[in-house]
Amino acid sequence: MSLEIEDFIKQHKKEFDTDRPSLNMWDRIEKELDQKKPKKSFNIQLWMSIAASAIVILALTFFYVSPVKKAKLSIADVSPAYANRQVRFASLIEEKRDSLQIFAEVNPELYKKFNRDLETLNLAYDSLRKQLPASPNQKLIVKAMVRNLEAQLQLVSQQLSIIVEVTEFKKENRI
Amino acid sequence: MEAVYIDKNIDLVNGCRSGDRKAQFELYKLYEKAMYSAALRIVNHEVEAEDVLQEAFLDAFTRIGDFRGDTTFGLWLKQIIINKSINCLRKRRAEFVSMDGIEIAEAKADDHEELQWKVEEVKAAVRRLPDGYRVVLTLYLFEGYDHEEISHILKISEVTSRSQLMRAKMKLKNMLEKTGGRDEFRN
Repeated sequence: MSLEIEDFIKQHKKEFDTDRPSLNMWDRIEKELDQKKPKKSFNIQLWMSIAASAIVILALTFFYVSPVKKAKLSIADVSPAYANRQVRFASLIEEKRDSLQIFAEVNPELYKKFNRDLETLNLAYDSLRKQLPASPNQKLIVKAMVRNLEAQLQLVSQQLSIIVEVTEFKKENRI
Repeated sequence: MEAVYIDKNIDLVNGCRSGDRKAQFELYKLYEKAMYSAALRIVNHEVEAEDVLQEAFLDAFTRIGDFRGDTTFGLWLKQIIINKSINCLRKRRAEFVSMDGIEIAEAKADDHEELQWKVEEVKAAVRRLPDGYRVVLTLYLFEGYDHEEISHILKISEVTSRSQLMRAKMKLKNMLEKTGGRDEFRN
């Protein structure tokens, strides 16, 4: 018996849902929604200001920290392969300049001239090194630095062979 | 296995998420009657049912971010409505356990033919039920809750929920018989 009313309700569920609230119900809801909105936009402002201060802090740390980091930038930071060549060239140059110095006492005039030529290349190298941290294309600068060292090495080698020949010539002449 | 719900109102719900007033209005129009009827069945008071409706829609629109889409928007909204309606009854200090003098044995004597009930008569009779009967009957028959769920929501025992439902159905039937709220028909 009681099953009947149960089935009836289940079968006619939709027909029971016919009650309507007052016509102004939506207006009431809308009004409350409008009142809640300023609260929400305040929140947005709050989040915006938090985001803005975060950006400022990030920017400040970027400007304070990064120059220190950049000043320390070496060729190895840009390209380890070029760094290896730089070390090799630099030590070879050092070696040849040491040998060059041995002949300096015999040919002081020549040695002075050679040194001046090397100095120009060296100055170029230094200016390249100063450009490196701020350069947008660091790989290019590093390449130029290594080429400069290569040129220095070639120069020193030539200078060495010249000074050796000049010394030999002087010796022969003395005899 | 997890049920997969396909919500046909997904576009409107997404509109609500971005605070689109038109989408909110469309959803309101879609659910206005069903939600108000459900609230009215539980609180049994037009003005209070309207307050429940207003609060529920406002909550749904402002907390739409909490709606994860694991049910339909309608079911989610209905849950808000039911919770608010029951809270409203609690504020009124309604008793969720109603007792009256119905003899259970009395019902067994009846042996009727198939009957055709009238929606409006049944509705009116449901509204005349005591709070405890009406709420359990509504949650069980209209909202499809089982006794375990009802016992959690109303904080009564499952046994109480079952006996309340049985008494509610009997009382309803008695009232309908008295008011002639049904028409007999034969095939």
